[in-house]
Amino acid sequence: MLDRFATMTRWLARCLMMIGAAGIVVMTAIIGWQVYGRYVLNASPAWTEQAALVLMVWFVMFGAAAGVHEGFHIRISVFVEALPLRIRTACRALALLIIAACGAALAVWGTELVLAVWSHVIPTLGVSRGFAYLPLPVSGGLIILFAVERLAELAAGRERGRMEGRV
Amino acid sequence: MELAILLGTLVVLLAIGVPVAFALLGATLVAFALLDLPAIVAIQRMASGMSVFSLMAIPFFIFAGELMHRAGIAERLVRIAEGAFGRSRGGLGQVDVGASMLFGAVSGSAVASVSALGSTLMPMMKAKGYDTDYAVNVTSTSAVVGLLIPPSHNMIIYAAAAGVGVSVGELFIGGIIPGLLTGALLMFVAWLVAVKRNYPRGEFPGWPAFLTAFVAALPGLMTAVIIVGGILGGFFTATESSSIAVIYTLIVAVLVYRSLNFRAFLDATLAAAKTTAMVLFIIGAASGFGWVLAILETPAQLADLILSVTDNPILILLIINLILLALGTFMDMSPLIVITTPIFLPIAVSLGIDPVHFGVIMMLNLGIGLVTPPVGSVLFVGAAVGGMRMEETVRTIWPFYGALVAALMAITYLPFLTMGLVELMRG
Repeated sequence: MLDRFATMTRWLARCLMMIGAAGIVVMTAIIGWQVYGRYVLNASPAWTEQAALVLMVWFVMFGAAAGVHEGFHIRISVFVEALPLRIRTACRALALLIIAACGAALAVWGTELVLAVWSHVIPTLGVSRGFAYLPLPVSGGLIILFAVERLAELAAGRERGRMEGRV
Repeated sequence: MELAILLGTLVVLLAIGVPVAFALLGATLVAFALLDLPAIVAIQRMASGMSVFSLMAIPFFIFAGELMHRAGIAERLVRIAEGAFGRSRGGLGQVDVGASMLFGAVSGSAVASVSALGSTLMPMMKAKGYDTDYAVNVTSTSAVVGLLIPPSHNMIIYAAAAGVGVSVGELFIGGIIPGLLTGALLMFVAWLVAVKRNYPRGEFPGWPAFLTAFVAALPGLMTAVIIVGGILGGFFTATESSSIAVIYTLIVAVLVYRSLNFRAFLDATLAAAKTTAMVLFIIGAASGFGWVLAILETPAQLADLILSVTDNPILILLIINLILLALGTFMDMSPLIVITTPIFLPIAVSLGIDPVHFGVIMMLNLGIGLVTPPVGSVLFVGAAVGGMRMEETVRTIWPFYGALVAALMAITYLPFLTMGLVELMRG
């Protein structure tokens, strides 16, 4: 059961990183197109900056969620590592709970934010402003999922030390 | 009171090992609850803190740096530096600093610089009998110089945090002389330590080999010309120029050097996506945190506090430098730029300091924080590349800290180092 959950989240985190990688390439192409449009076609496309910006928020939030799974977010580990193993494990559990709580905050209030601005339209793109905020609640949900998976691993006594790596 | 709780929550969360971005977000949400503010605003601040046009340059600079690293552009820059500095005693130390300055001129990221040059130069240094701690210390501290030499994505964060009126182009120009000075001081210290440890001399490969190395590196070095020239000439915005840098690097790596296969390209995009997510997520969280600080009128209070101690500009700059150095040891550079710029810049401006000058001071100051434990992402990466623990390398890093702090003091108190070229440009 836990194995299947772990495999599923690993696969999901991987997909999110791949989307992020694709996002950065598409973003480069969009801004490159903007320059090409201005100098070669003599017409600045109006949609490019907004589109690239919305895309960036999407893939940053996806990457931020995947980072909870991969444990690549910058953290201070020196103080915790000086503690005895049991307290260290307790700290790690607490840290994961706080991450999950932040995820919940993003999910709940992020959804509220999306609903509040849903009727506004981004002029140059013709889509709802809510679409620009949507990645926050989506990422919040993913963060909860990843934090819960790591808590389950921790409870099962087999946390793979992913949080050790970074400072 | 609310301020104490906000900062207290942040410190506790950081101490128990909550990642910096979540600690900032958590403390912000606690403060929102205390102040009875709608939490939806905190989320909105976070989103709008990330959605800034100029910040888009960050993923591009990181992406370009990753591509250059994998396309072997760093090796080509090392060969130029070898020709120029290799002959002196412990020449590889100077080569390392020189190559870092060149890499800093083509890439905007200190972490990309330390991993690119570390993986190239550290094996060379070890093979010639240099100690690992020396290799790690030189590579890590000289990566900081890249923060001052344009392009620099942290300068773009600063320009965005400072608000209207601070031009990225002027910051880029302002960083040139301070960058050269800091590099020269680091070279001097690298030489001193090398002499003391009796490291071997290198050989000059001869002019033909040097010129060949230069020509081979030229397409890579052109990136710097495109970025800086594009911005200063008004052809591109900073964001556009950085995306052009990515496209140009791809063309050079694939068509000219033929050194980038699809696998390496994929690795570069994944690494860039990861670093971007990390940096911008923190910037978003820091924007929310900074907004609470502004609501609590912390900037004004802190300004009053500092001005009540002294009104001597020299002392005030020293106090600001010390606060930033202390914060830099345990926080990462980008959130600190976002949080502290609105606090300290108004004080500096009221003392008659140009925002460009202050920005350059801040870059070097917080850059020093990148090579100091407990949180020093550049030193951490440098130590990891060298295969050492960060705690071991810091034992012998002191002379290099000395060079960086001396440079910081010179840049702080000799404004013409920064402003000379800027004034020239302003006309």
